[in-house]
Amino acid sequence: MILPALIAIGVVIGYPIVRAIQLSTTEFNPLAGADPTPVGTANFEQLVDDPIFWEALRNTAIYTFGSVAIAAIIGAMVALLVENLSGRARVVKTLLLTPWAVPFVVVAFLFRYMFDAQSGVINALLMDLNITDQPVDWLVSSTWALPTVVAANVWAQTPFFVLVFGAALAAVPNEVIESARVDSTRGLAMARHIKLPYMRNAALIASLLMVVANFNDFGKIWAMTEGGPGYATTTLVVWVYRLAFTSFELGYASAVGVIWLVLLLLFAIAYARMLRRGS
Amino acid sequence: MAVAVSERSAPAARPAPRARRQRGGRAARNVGIAVALFFALAPIYWMLSTSFKPELEATQSDPSLLPNEYTMGNYQSLFNGAMPFGSFVVNSVITAAAAALISLVLSAFGGYALSKGNFRLREPMSFLILLTRMLPLVVLLGPLYLLLLNANLINTMLGLIIGYISFAVPFGVWLMKGFFDGVPKEVIEAARVDGYPRWQILLRVALPLTIPGLLTTATFIFIDVWNNIIYPLALINTIENQVLPSGLMLSFTGQFKTNWGGMMAASVLTSIPLLIAFFAIQRSMVRGLTAGAVAGE
Repeated sequence: MILPALIAIGVVIGYPIVRAIQLSTTEFNPLAGADPTPVGTANFEQLVDDPIFWEALRNTAIYTFGSVAIAAIIGAMVALLVENLSGRARVVKTLLLTPWAVPFVVVAFLFRYMFDAQSGVINALLMDLNITDQPVDWLVSSTWALPTVVAANVWAQTPFFVLVFGAALAAVPNEVIESARVDSTRGLAMARHIKLPYMRNAALIASLLMVVANFNDFGKIWAMTEGGPGYATTTLVVWVYRLAFTSFELGYASAVGVIWLVLLLLFAIAYARMLRRGS
Repeated sequence: MAVAVSERSAPAARPAPRARRQRGGRAARNVGIAVALFFALAPIYWMLSTSFKPELEATQSDPSLLPNEYTMGNYQSLFNGAMPFGSFVVNSVITAAAAALISLVLSAFGGYALSKGNFRLREPMSFLILLTRMLPLVVLLGPLYLLLLNANLINTMLGLIIGYISFAVPFGVWLMKGFFDGVPKEVIEAARVDGYPRWQILLRVALPLTIPGLLTTATFIFIDVWNNIIYPLALINTIENQVLPSGLMLSFTGQFKTNWGGMMAASVLTSIPLLIAFFAIQRSMVRGLTAGAVAGE
């Protein structure tokens, strides 16, 4: 009974993986009409010396872990704030989740507009408050483009953490809260010493999911900057796409992809270890 | 309702110092919630407000909180302007619905086998399916492109649907496995003892018990597909055949780069189906959880 699903997965995932590994040892431009030329490990040797590879790797790390760290911290705080809302006030919880339901391309558009150098509301606010006296070139500046893209991602991703932490908080046993209260533990102390430890596992699992999502995130970055200016917001996924579909170096692109598969696998193993040690 | 009443009937006489401290804490909490709400909703408000502004007002460097002059022009020109927005919508709806439906059928079979099947490779296969969820789609895209190129399916809806299915099925199988795990083994066993053939157990016994799961899975897949931009960008090469995210991205990066009003109007319309799906799934997720709890008794 699993056969139909397996065949579907085999054709559209199994085959591409094998083919990607095979292509990574060739030089291949599909538009040139010629067949792939085997080049051995040349692609991988070129990769190590390619400054763009290292820049993309750095950008990927900042985008992936930066977004997750910030969104998880804000998400935990918000979850603690709205934990005890009840009755009609619960609508606040739903409203706080809305950014999650906004399509990625719309997130990108919203932040492109708000952070536009000329017509953006962020620059207008900063200048009204005299924080800066001339507009900041957010998305066209090689310094600010990556932080701006991270900001957009944090906005879109925080609700997920609010939801997960909310569920984790709801699972804290009442007796624990009660006995802490009897010991007159309240407010911040309660949050830090009693509730946070219960949120640890939820935090690990949720951030694993989001790390993987960010690692593979293409839509938001591409619709905001197309990886630019220069390579300032080019993460690995954006770079592979640029190589494969704008410069049509499919062999080289596949080599990057294979390295990336290895990295992801290492990360997954490290994470599984961490999770097992935690429990 | 009941909760609102109990709030009102909170003890009227509280010890004074603790009340003051609580009130202070509550005020701080409310400020925090207000700040959080502001950050979550301000961009959405800004999108709505801008979508009703005339072009000049949307581009001015000193933005107005509410449109000084309301216009529907941004929405109208989406449908009779130079951009094939209508085609984007139609293509998006058709491909997302088809991909969700096909993936759902495949996922239901696969998920059932992984949850209730009796075969040796069940455990490693489940893990493998989970692992494919972590795969970078872009690495698979090059070879998939070649595959579809050889099959003459580049720039067709069918090709795009196949692309979508490639990431939707592993995800769907994993979700459906979880929902089938909630169906007690005894129910399946009882049907088997009654002599039902295997496919009938799935159709008549297991599936009806997982209807919330099916709905949730279909909606999750729909949301995933509706959001995807990399597959249509790579597999479709004419603007009329694009779907919403890719079509809008191409239009508003090129020709209509600073048409902010139009961009925000398109954003509003693109968000609506996803917002509906999101709130629909919220309810069915709760129902799925309660169904599981009842079945577990």
